[in-house]
Amino acid sequence: MAANVQYVARETASNLWRNRLMTVAAVLTVAVSLSLVGAAMLLKQGVAHATTQWQHGVNVDVFLKAGVPVAQEKVIDQDLLQLPYVHSCTYRSQAYDYNEAKHLLTPDESQSLSASTTPASLRCVLNDPGQAQAVAQQFSGRPGVASVTYPSQAVHNMQQVTRILQWVFLIVAVILLLSASVLILNTIRLAIFARRREVSVMKLVGATNWFIRVPFMFEGLLQGLSGAVIAALSVIGLHLVLNTLGDSRTSNVFTQMRMPIGEVLATSAVVVVIGLVVGTVGSAFAIRRFLET
Amino acid sequence: MICLENVSKTYQTGTVALRDLSLDIEKGEFVFLVGSTGSGKTTVIRLLLREELPDGGRIWVAGHEVALLSQWRVPYLRRNIGCVFQDYRLLPNKSVFENVAFVLEVIGRPKHVIASQVPQVLDLVGLGRKRDSLPGQLSGGEQQRVGIARAFVNRPLILLADEPTGNLDPKTSLGIVRLLDRINRTGTTVVVATHDASIVDMMRRRVIELDEGTMVRDQARGVYGYGT
Repeated sequence: MAANVQYVARETASNLWRNRLMTVAAVLTVAVSLSLVGAAMLLKQGVAHATTQWQHGVNVDVFLKAGVPVAQEKVIDQDLLQLPYVHSCTYRSQAYDYNEAKHLLTPDESQSLSASTTPASLRCVLNDPGQAQAVAQQFSGRPGVASVTYPSQAVHNMQQVTRILQWVFLIVAVILLLSASVLILNTIRLAIFARRREVSVMKLVGATNWFIRVPFMFEGLLQGLSGAVIAALSVIGLHLVLNTLGDSRTSNVFTQMRMPIGEVLATSAVVVVIGLVVGTVGSAFAIRRFLET
Repeated sequence: MICLENVSKTYQTGTVALRDLSLDIEKGEFVFLVGSTGSGKTTVIRLLLREELPDGGRIWVAGHEVALLSQWRVPYLRRNIGCVFQDYRLLPNKSVFENVAFVLEVIGRPKHVIASQVPQVLDLVGLGRKRDSLPGQLSGGEQQRVGIARAFVNRPLILLADEPTGNLDPKTSLGIVRLLDRINRTGTTVVVATHDASIVDMMRRRVIELDEGTMVRDQARGVYGYGT
């Protein structure tokens, strides 16, 4: 290849400096657009996280008949744990359930209750809350089991809401990415248009197309990279803000959206890669029509 | 060196630029291509550079049939052809030296070749002392000399000039044509498209006259107009 490293480095550096306003415009465009893309991606992950956390709070309560022998209770407990979608079960005594019922019910309603008439129960946490109904069907009517309760409709509704929310954020991210690409492409094209004279002279004196293209692509790569790094930093910044909001003792939606730093860094890495690709491919694409004939 | 055989070219707008034009230019010749605006001079130059393809006929330049060249070989064809333009087409933010050195960089010549050839060609065109000036600091004639230096630095087989004196006063024009003549004496084939009668009459070289895309005259030691 005729384009040697030194030539490309020198040409790229002087081009970036000569067109510094254009460079700044391109870098800022990439930075702002990709920050939005990264933020949307982060929010989508946040919702996914919140959903997972919330799903771990979905329980199936298996109430036991009064006077069931301890051995039978053990068998029921073990059978429950053998189901693949049951994560863990906790045994709750009659006294415990009685106390909880007193908390949940109004004094009028709880008047008829007593510690001895309240059934003991096994509270099971599921891996997959969608399987609550299956657990209920298998265990209700079993000897020793009084009844099985689970929040059926609520699970269904919440799952749908979060699924829609994740899709919304994903679609927003994709739309932002597309418009960012168009913006970046247009900025690069403007920069090249300002130098079409130079390109035409290069062609006339016998420069190969790749020789002309490489410095422009390298320039686009650098612009994409700088913009993307700014965007990645702002994604990490957003993560820190969400964390601080969620950190306050009052547990709110942000607390549930907190996610490990690894995932945030992965999102940032994706943003950087997008910036690199869009910058490089965008330049190559933008210069195409100046290289025809 | 240059051969056109029954070449015709019609632009997409419907303008007929060339009709059935045939001409032959030998190696080392100096040829004026004359004719009024729109007679097809520039089209001939564009066809030789393969900026356009002919609709009919065949064109040979430096041993290649132009229309049959694949796209990726076009740059290599152009390295055999130096080009001079009416508007100079220098890069405004590069110095005189850089403008000329650019050509050699583009075709991948090593540094020491650039360091020796560029000053040599700048001396040839008489701009050795202005090597660090920017084009904007030079007069029109000086800028055109840089243009010629750029076209010639690669020692091309052919030098094409499209209205090289179009923006210059008569005295400066004469200097430019003398420079082209000197380059011709090194063995380079020179083709000058022009409607500048004074330079044609002074040089008394081969004149090919075009009118509405056809050749109306081919004269060995010609002048611009008939008998004037």
